[in-house]
Amino acid sequence: MAKRLLEIRSLDVHYGDAHVLFDVDLHVDEGAIVSLVGANGAGKSTLLKAVSGLVAPTDGEIRFRDRSIVGMAAQEIVGIGISHVPEGRGLFAQMTVLENLELGAYPSRQRPRMRESLARVFELFPRLDERRGQKAGSLSGGEQQMLAIGRAMMANPSLLILDEPSLGLSPIIVRTMFELVRTLNEQGMTILLVEQNIHQALQVAHHAYVLQTGHIVMQGSGPALLEDPTVRKAYIGSLA
Amino acid sequence: MLEILSPRLVGELLVNGLLFGAMYGVAAIGLSLIFGTMRIIFLAQGAMIVLAGYCAYWAFALLGVDPYVTMIALLPVSLVVGAAIYQLLFRRAAAIEDKNTSLLIAVGLMFMLESLMSVAWTPDPRSITTTYTATSFDVGGMPVSITRSIAFVVALVATALVTLFLKRTLIGKAVRAVSENMTSSMLVGISPHRVNMVAFAVGIALAGVAGCTLASTYAIDPYFGFLFSLKALIALALGGLGNVGGALAGGLLLGVIESGSSFFIPGWGDAIGYLVFLLVLMFRPEGLFVRSVKKA
Repeated sequence: MAKRLLEIRSLDVHYGDAHVLFDVDLHVDEGAIVSLVGANGAGKSTLLKAVSGLVAPTDGEIRFRDRSIVGMAAQEIVGIGISHVPEGRGLFAQMTVLENLELGAYPSRQRPRMRESLARVFELFPRLDERRGQKAGSLSGGEQQMLAIGRAMMANPSLLILDEPSLGLSPIIVRTMFELVRTLNEQGMTILLVEQNIHQALQVAHHAYVLQTGHIVMQGSGPALLEDPTVRKAYIGSLA
Repeated sequence: MLEILSPRLVGELLVNGLLFGAMYGVAAIGLSLIFGTMRIIFLAQGAMIVLAGYCAYWAFALLGVDPYVTMIALLPVSLVVGAAIYQLLFRRAAAIEDKNTSLLIAVGLMFMLESLMSVAWTPDPRSITTTYTATSFDVGGMPVSITRSIAFVVALVATALVTLFLKRTLIGKAVRAVSENMTSSMLVGISPHRVNMVAFAVGIALAGVAGCTLASTYAIDPYFGFLFSLKALIALALGGLGNVGGALAGGLLLGVIESGSSFFIPGWGDAIGYLVFLLVLMFRPEGLFVRSVKKA
């Protein structure tokens, strides 16, 4: 059996008075692509934010490599190997492509490796190399998403969290994005993916969870969920 | 009225304005850095400038130390003082979403410094008269004050150094990153406290530089600081928040506006400065020199 990289148990999250996540259990095995799907407002982004330390859970446990990470600050969590690419990419728009990437290697253990990491990211995304001196805000949507992922890769994570990487991209670029997710995974990267593009997200996933108003209502292998009539009816609709 | 508008007069007003405006610019860069990371207007900046001015004054009056020597000596001290101010006064408040607490701490610090300086050194204006204070040199038949020129050069050097720091060092880039996007900064591993502290250290170091040059050019009193904070704020509004070059340019522009308006309508220099401030905030809140770049 594959090693468990991330384990979430009985997680509850509140925003003020609003109860957003209820008793959520989820795990990610090393080397897997795990997709988390569900409607808007189901709590998908909140779950990711709880993992990366941006949101403090009210109850429950989050363990990474068998070590509790609840209560750690976001800037410490990236240092132990979890990189979170937020929804909307969160680039430093006024800074250059190169500066964005350099900041990706900010954690102290990554700084000495900056040169190698940069070479690796440029090999993966030659387009970023061509545009290294350009401001991030001037890139196209697809390039911005590449930069956001490239910046996360600069921290040499063992878990890459992607929140809606295909949001706002044209269908062709969306396909490229999912190919990229597969490629990264084939190179050994473990990926936790949140997507509104449910069909693609389930196709690419080894394991998937369906989140509905803060509850995990279903889980299984990607292909199995894709065939499930309830999932098809509720989320894929006419797309299927 | 028009016949007195000789090129020479215009030149003098312009040079005077630019030379004095450079100090507004330095103060504005400090405000800009602290605003960038902390999202507050550090209103005590002017009081810190006056405090540095008093250091220069006493070092000169008691020990005969040149104010520019004091300026160099104050650099490391003010970096530490800036970091300490953040750690002692602002660290806890910075974690709160509501920025009013931090702003009130800055106001409290300003009043406290003003009162302390007034008690310790009396409210009398003080000025430094070095051997070269009254000296001026000639540019195209126009006398240009040497102290003001030094102040100008110091301002340019300070701006260049801060720009280099922000563009070339990783921690400087982190300061810019936090100014742009706090959440993303944390996600790449930047500690907001660390960056806030650095911004304060550099901001107060700039106050030290501005204070020493100010004291070598003008008379200071304990209550001059608030006015100076306001001027820096106007310069910042003119130049656009979060933009070092813009802050300097805003300071220079404000200097010129003031020197021009106080010549033509004596006594109205400040009022016109504030009017420009309001007009800019109403019609160009992003500043005069900012080209808008689309957000990622």
